[in-house]
Amino acid sequence: MNPAISDEILHAFVDGELDVDDSEKLIARMREDAELAQRVCTLRSLQNMVRLAYAEPPVSVGRTSLAVPRRQFMQRCAFGCLILFAGLSGGWVLRSLESQAVAGVPAPVIGGYQAVSLTREADPNRVMLHLDSAEPGRMEAVLDRAEQLLDEAEREGRGMQLEIVANSHGINLMRAGVSPHAARIARMTQRHANLHWVACSQTIARFTGEGQHVELLPTARAAPTAIGEIVSRLQQGWTYVRV
Amino acid sequence: MSMISHLLFGPFRPGIEAMRPMLYRIAYAWCHDASLADDLVQETLSKAWARRAQLRDEASLKGWMVAIMNHCWLDYLRSRRDFDDVDDLQDELESGTETPEACCDREQVIACVRAAVARLPLGQRQVLTLVDLEEFGYAEVAGILEIPVGTVMSRLSRARASLKCLLDPAMQQPAARPLLRRVK
Repeated sequence: MNPAISDEILHAFVDGELDVDDSEKLIARMREDAELAQRVCTLRSLQNMVRLAYAEPPVSVGRTSLAVPRRQFMQRCAFGCLILFAGLSGGWVLRSLESQAVAGVPAPVIGGYQAVSLTREADPNRVMLHLDSAEPGRMEAVLDRAEQLLDEAEREGRGMQLEIVANSHGINLMRAGVSPHAARIARMTQRHANLHWVACSQTIARFTGEGQHVELLPTARAAPTAIGEIVSRLQQGWTYVRV
Repeated sequence: MSMISHLLFGPFRPGIEAMRPMLYRIAYAWCHDASLADDLVQETLSKAWARRAQLRDEASLKGWMVAIMNHCWLDYLRSRRDFDDVDDLQDELESGTETPEACCDREQVIACVRAAVARLPLGQRQVLTLVDLEEFGYAEVAGILEIPVGTVMSRLSRARASLKCLLDPAMQQPAARPLLRRVK
């Protein structure tokens, strides 16, 4: 019979520290020696019990559990701050650009209406009044506003140019036979040389397409489009007022 | 995102942080005190981080960190206890009042094994936990604990013998319980 195998050898075997040859010899012996097999089995189960015992070590209250998430939390905070900072500074930069571009329009008010101008200061001597509705009140308001502005300019001795641009149903103001203010328009045109009446050709075409006969007052001229007229006048430095 | 974190927190080595659960398990098996284990792990991680330049071989990261923790643990023992020679302690049997007599279910087995491991002398406990829990080779354990391989083997042998002794009732549970307990 072979000499008894020491505990050290068995441990080395269980821990995979024996080389292949020795392991195989030991396995061969275990087949014959039930007691040896029992010893190995005991060692293995001992090892398993130790592993089981520490598979889930108790967590120290409120510390280990916090350590990792806190780090992530701090990282997230840092990212959040970074993004917030980027947003704020981006907004600040844009704001200064914006203010350079738009500062020229401090929302001027002409004749009680909000006026729009591309220049730094709204030019009170070149004004467009835009009418896009056939509502009697608004038609009258346009004429009132125009007279008021022209009279003011006259009193102050300014040479003022005023253009009344009509499109959509606002064009009715300038239609011969339809306009309720034809006489007043004729009178105003006579009095003020620099008063122009502009109607939108597209609107006329649309009305014609609908079977209406559109004839403008003799004082009014047709522009290709009202929007185009407004934009080109704005570019020339005119002030736009929508009534 | 990772680039930002790289910029914010310097070169990030996930390897060191990833060792935390493994370190904690071993630390707990050594001291059986959750908050102390936590302190040990924390100290080990920060030391490992500070000395990360010293690690040449990434593959040996695990053993290297356990070795650092071993130093932290011994430092702790030196500072706590009034003895000069930690080596004496390595083979001293811890006095434990808890004797696992009857262990039935899983929870109890766990408690019994922990109690038994806690009673092992420090040196044996360290060798046993490193070999059994993390499957370090004998040579690696020798390197980590800075002791000869022969010592590793003899400590392991003694540790398992005492453990078997302490846990005999638990292990014999399914079979008939012997009337006499072997006391080596």
